[in-house]
Amino acid sequence: MIIAERKPIERILQMIEPYQKIAVLGCRGCVAICSTGGDREVETLASALRLARKKQGKPLETIEETYVRQCDPEYLKPLAELKEKVEAVVSLACGVGVNLCADLYPDLKIYPGVDTTFYGANPALGEWEEKCRGCGDCIIDLTGGICPIARCAKNLLNGPCGGSQNGKCEINPDTPCVWQEVYDRLKARGELDRLTKIWPAKNWIPAGYGGPRRRVRPDLQINNKKA
Amino acid sequence: MSKMKLCVLCCHYTNEAMPEELADIPAKIHIKRFPCSGRIEVVDILRAFEDDAEGVLVAGCERNFCHNRTGSLRAAKRVEAARELLKEIGFNPQVVQMAFVPRLDTGAFIEEVKKLFEIILKTKS
Repeated sequence: MIIAERKPIERILQMIEPYQKIAVLGCRGCVAICSTGGDREVETLASALRLARKKQGKPLETIEETYVRQCDPEYLKPLAELKEKVEAVVSLACGVGVNLCADLYPDLKIYPGVDTTFYGANPALGEWEEKCRGCGDCIIDLTGGICPIARCAKNLLNGPCGGSQNGKCEINPDTPCVWQEVYDRLKARGELDRLTKIWPAKNWIPAGYGGPRRRVRPDLQINNKKA
Repeated sequence: MSKMKLCVLCCHYTNEAMPEELADIPAKIHIKRFPCSGRIEVVDILRAFEDDAEGVLVAGCERNFCHNRTGSLRAAKRVEAARELLKEIGFNPQVVQMAFVPRLDTGAFIEEVKKLFEIILKTKS
């Protein structure tokens, strides 16, 4: 899922400084699952903002709503009505959601309430770890299902660096060296020979070379003229 | 001078104090009961301040004696989260206090409310 983290409240207060009535808009997708932008976080942030503004002597009125997904136009239709009731919106969706809201409603003053950080897994309650960088050319078939791009501090593709000590990364003693993990995993699977083969150079074009990436499935498009 | 407003968020088991038992404390005390202190959310604490409370006490069962096993431990974590948020918006985090009190012991509960009152008095001085 996409992982995000709430921005410092001071920063959000700066964004909404000119407004008296705003909406705090959550998303029940990834940001709800990573406990950053779901219903609970919406009501908490809205309350904190009201409290901060009350302390400043500039009361703030809020509307609290959470949509199923802010990355899908289908679920953003109610925003047309909501935007008429407020001066601005603070979205707790990931950057994708905020972008789409801004694209669909160009007159809407929408501000990000979170920083979108990484694609991660939820190994334990209250913990999220980066597992994928979205490079567009997955090579983890060669590395035992472990991504050296997302999980190596140097994104190395040709084995560990000199900072790998006792299976840990030099940047942080709590961070495992992903190349040690790759080696151990492949060894256990009897597939160490994968590491002795010369890989072709990784294709970085799908990683974003050439501007924003787009995916099309013509069989799902409604207005596909070729169909 | 208007009376200090305090809010107590607690579970059913930690507070059976009658209003007259809190009459010695020169504050307006609002008590909100929850089925379990583990059900108290950060936003409940913030809303108490929105409603003009100057201090909030979250009271849960003693550690390892919670009716729902870990409810009061959860409550303590929420208190920490609320303190962090309050600090971010310029409040003294001491305005929220967590108390683990024996179940059905009114005396210990009242003592904790008194302690909160004194802490708030200090933060105001």
